[in-house]
Amino acid sequence: MNKYWQIFKISFQQEFAYKVNFIMWRVRNVFQIFLIFFLWDSIFSDPGRVVFGYDRAKILTYVFGVLIVRALVLSARAVDVSADVAKGDLSNYLLKPISYFKYWFTRDISSKALNISFAIGEFTLLFLILKPPFFFQLDPLILIAFLASIVIAIFIYFNLLFMVSAIPFWAPELGWGGHFLVTIIMIEAFSGALFPINILPASIQPIVLATPFPYLIYIPIQVYLGNVTGIALFRTLFLGVSWCVALWLAMNNIWQRGIRVYESIGR
Amino acid sequence: MVISQKLALSIFLVGKVLRFTFFFFFLFFLLAGTKTLAGYEVNQALFFFLTFNVIDVITQFIFREVYRFRPMIVSGEFDYVLAKPLNPLFRVLMGGADVIDLITIPPLFFAVWFIGAKLSPDPLQIFYYLLLLINGLLIATAFHIIVLSMGIITLEIDHTIIIYRDMTSLGRFPIDIYKQPLQGFLTYLIPVGLMITLPAKALMGLVSPVGVASSFAFGLVAVFVAVRFWNFALKKYSSASS
Repeated sequence: MNKYWQIFKISFQQEFAYKVNFIMWRVRNVFQIFLIFFLWDSIFSDPGRVVFGYDRAKILTYVFGVLIVRALVLSARAVDVSADVAKGDLSNYLLKPISYFKYWFTRDISSKALNISFAIGEFTLLFLILKPPFFFQLDPLILIAFLASIVIAIFIYFNLLFMVSAIPFWAPELGWGGHFLVTIIMIEAFSGALFPINILPASIQPIVLATPFPYLIYIPIQVYLGNVTGIALFRTLFLGVSWCVALWLAMNNIWQRGIRVYESIGR
Repeated sequence: MVISQKLALSIFLVGKVLRFTFFFFFLFFLLAGTKTLAGYEVNQALFFFLTFNVIDVITQFIFREVYRFRPMIVSGEFDYVLAKPLNPLFRVLMGGADVIDLITIPPLFFAVWFIGAKLSPDPLQIFYYLLLLINGLLIATAFHIIVLSMGIITLEIDHTIIIYRDMTSLGRFPIDIYKQPLQGFLTYLIPVGLMITLPAKALMGLVSPVGVASSFAFGLVAVFVAVRFWNFALKKYSSASS
């Protein structure tokens, strides 16, 4: 356990080694929030308006929730795994007495810890500047369910990243392309980071909700807002856990097959 | 071109098309529910988004070399550019077009024509639109020249260009949705409004001839200032790594 704690500390310090990169990543997040905030603020300029089941307070809470949930779920160092595979650097880790998955999960947690601390600062600053109406969830059971949904989201994202990062086992040049398509385009569109899934037509929503992507951002925020309660809440969390298990098994299977064809190209 | 490179190119092309399509439909479904955005109806709001994409895609297509400038400066390879009988600004600004963006331009133009026609513009409005579109590209050119110049002085390109792109992405929607002081900032300091919102408004008949002329004057001045800044930056180039 101690070695992973050391990895956590080193990874945390490494983030500060590239300060400009980190700050720019945070600045980009704030710009995205600006875009979404003012879009919804404009639509809900009439305080009494209710659209897609949201009032002004709930939709602006959704926007600010995206800032926090993104920092917790989508901040991850494991995006670099595909480069390890493509360049043959994976060999270095296979020779060490550590679990490669645990190594990257520890680094992810380190990145999340740093990002959430900055996100809370940004949240406070934007909150003071923009003064949005905010829905504070006070029900402790819902808050616990929200935390559970965040943990589920973190595991789902970790598995998705490792699955996409396995592409270079078979096609070393396609590592970044795979990430672009899945972790940027698909997740941006279907996770709820840009818009709540329930603004989509009723015929499309079940299709999107049948994928793991909404469990990353949309579902946790819906849980926080109290839009999923009772049996539906248990069913949602159960489905999230099922996605974690299914993706973990699939990811392990893909990596076992990948390791068999791994040639440590470039080493 | 080897198969994996073709596949990589296809993935990026598919990714870009999907990103555009997803956002377009998000906007469409959103407006289907709300009916208006900052007083603009569905087709008008979609036209703002398409105009943003026209400026964005064309600038990325033409100025892709800007994204490759930093290694050139850091390694000292820029010396070779300066030594050749070709305008160095032209070389580092437009020396490498992006084929992926080229492929996406024709369908984008079709979409602009299709949605634009639904707004029933008269010939003068179309002329103003095209003129202000060119002006938007002029302002974008000025920004890319300034980014290159700052790259020479500070050795920093990647983040500056990303900030520029994030700023312009706020033009996906009419800047009327933003509140002051952000709206003023986007109109005058980082003139996303002049680059993207104004051309689209011109097609809708919401811009006067004086507005068109003053906007065009701003674009010309921006390019002039940017070129002056480039000349200033060139004098600061130290060729340190070579």
